[in-house]
Amino acid sequence: MEVSFIKEKIAGVLTSILEHDNFEMHDELTAKDVDGWDSLSHMMIITKIEEEFSIRFKLRDLNKLKNMGSLVSVIQGKI
Amino acid sequence: MVFNSFNFVVFIIPVFLLYWLVFKKSAVYQNILLLGASLFFYAFADWRFLILLVTCILINFLLGLRINSESNERKQQVYLYLGVIFNVGLLLYYKYFNFFLEGFYDMLNAFGVTSSHTALSILLPLGISFFTFQNLGYLLDVYNEEIEPNSNVLEFSLFVAFFPKILSGPIERASQFIPQIKTKRDFSYDTTVDGLRQILWGLFAKVVIAENCAALADPIFNSYQEQSSSALVFGAFFYAIQLYADFSGYSNMAIGVSKLFGIQLMRNFATPFFSTNIADFWRKWHISLTTWMMDYVFTPLSFTLRRQQKLGLIVAIVTTFVLVGLWHGANWTFIVYGLFHGMYFIPLVYSGSMNTSNAIAQGAWFPSIKESVKMVMLFILVMFTDILFRADNLTMAFDYLQRVFSWSLFSIPWEFLGSTTLFTSLFILFFFGVEWINREKKHDFEVRNYPLLIRWGFYIFLFVLILFFGKTAETFIYFQF
Repeated sequence: MEVSFIKEKIAGVLTSILEHDNFEMHDELTAKDVDGWDSLSHMMIITKIEEEFSIRFKLRDLNKLKNMGSLVSVIQGKI
Repeated sequence: MVFNSFNFVVFIIPVFLLYWLVFKKSAVYQNILLLGASLFFYAFADWRFLILLVTCILINFLLGLRINSESNERKQQVYLYLGVIFNVGLLLYYKYFNFFLEGFYDMLNAFGVTSSHTALSILLPLGISFFTFQNLGYLLDVYNEEIEPNSNVLEFSLFVAFFPKILSGPIERASQFIPQIKTKRDFSYDTTVDGLRQILWGLFAKVVIAENCAALADPIFNSYQEQSSSALVFGAFFYAIQLYADFSGYSNMAIGVSKLFGIQLMRNFATPFFSTNIADFWRKWHISLTTWMMDYVFTPLSFTLRRQQKLGLIVAIVTTFVLVGLWHGANWTFIVYGLFHGMYFIPLVYSGSMNTSNAIAQGAWFPSIKESVKMVMLFILVMFTDILFRADNLTMAFDYLQRVFSWSLFSIPWEFLGSTTLFTSLFILFFFGVEWINREKKHDFEVRNYPLLIRWGFYIFLFVLILFFGKTAETFIYFQF
C-alpha cells in the first residue's frame, strides 16, 4: 500500500474520532500537536486504525509510535 | 541522614569539594566518588541493607544486558518476567507480606477455619519502593527497545544508588539520568546557586511549613473523637498542607542537592494545588510516580482494554490509582485513597475534559472567579482523601470523615486559634504566594532573574523564618514508603 494512501486513511480516522481536521499530515506530527488527541482518543484512534487496515498492534508497537512517520511505518510493516 | 541534619552538612561539604577539586578529571572519577558517597550515605542510614541494594543493582544490571542480547522475543520475555518477579517479589516480601498474610488468615476465618498466626517482623529497607520501581522501569524500557541497556556497571550502580534520590525519589528514568553521567560534568556557578536556592526553599517548606502544620494537625488527629466538626476540618486542612510541604520540600532539596553535582533530576511537584481538575492535579503531584504508573501500568492496561472504549479506560484509571495508593504502603487506607482518586476521574472521562490542561490565570495576576472556585473545590476533594493518608486504619478514617458532618461544623474552633495558627497561616500564604508567582517557572523558587536586592531579601527572610520558626524533624512522611 502506498504511503500517501495510508496517510489519507489515517487522516480519515483522525477526523472521524476527533471531529475536526485542523492538522497537517507530515512525518513529524505528534499527538501533542493535535487538539483532542489525548490518552482516551489515542486508544480509540488505535482501535479504529486496526479496524481500517485489518491489523493488530502489539504493546511494543505502541511504544514505538513517536510521530506520524513512525505510525505509518509500523502500519506498513503489518500489512 | 536527612537533608536537614547537621550530619548531612558534614557529609556533603567534603563530597562537594572533592568532586569539583580533586575528582574533576574525568566522568569515571566523578562517578566513582559519587557512587562511593552514595553507598556510604545508604550504609549510614542502615548498613544491613547495603548488601540488598548491591544485589539489586547487579541483578538488574545483568538482566538488562541479557534481555537485550537475546534475539528471540520469547526468551527476552522470560528474562523480563524474571526481572519483574525479582523486583516485585522484593517489594511484596518487605512491604506487603504481613498485609497479605493477615488478609489470608482473615479469609480463612471467614470460612470458619480458625487458625492464628504471628506477623513476621520484617524491617523495611529504606527507599525500596523508589529504587525497585526505577529498576523495573529500566528493564521494561530495555525490553520495549526504548533504550539500550547500560553496559557500564559503574554508571548503572550510580543510576540506582545516587544519594540525593535513593531514599525518597524522584523515581528517575535511565533515559534521562544515564546520559548525564556519561560525560564529565563541568562546574557551573549558575547551576550550583540555583541548586542552593532550591535547597533553601525545600528546607523552608519542610521545617517551617510542614512541621508547624504538623504541630497543629497532630493533636487533632490524635484525639479526633473529642473534637468538634470544625476542628476536624481544621486538622484535615493543616494535614493536607503538611503532606504537600513535606514531600515537595523533600523533593526540592533532593533536586537541589543533585544540582550541586551538575546532575538534573526530574521535577516531582509542579504547584499541584493550582489545578482546576483532578487530572491536572495528578499531572503535577508526585510526577515521577504518576508518569511511571502512566507509562508502565495505565498505558498497557488501557491498550489491552481498548475495545471496551470508555469503560475500559475507567477500569484502567481506577486500577492504576489503586496501585498508586497501594504503592504507599500495605494498608487498606491507601487502597481506598487510590480508589477515591480513580473515581474522581470518572466525570472527566465522560465529559471528555481529562486531558485539557489549562494553565491557570495565563498572563494575569489573579485567577478568575471560576478558576478560584474550581481550585478550592479540588483542594477540598484532595483534603478529604488525605485523611485516609493520615489515619491509622479505615475505621478511623471513616469515623473521622463522618464526624466532620455535624452541626458543630459551623462552630468556631477557638481552642486552636492561637498565635501558632496565625503565624503558620501567614507562612502558608507566603509559601503559596511565592509558588503562585513562580508557577510557570522550572521550579517553585526560581528567582534567578529578580533584582539583587529582592533576591537577597528573600534569602534573608527565609533564613530568619527557618531559624526562628523552623522545627527540626528527623524524618519525612515519605521515608516510610
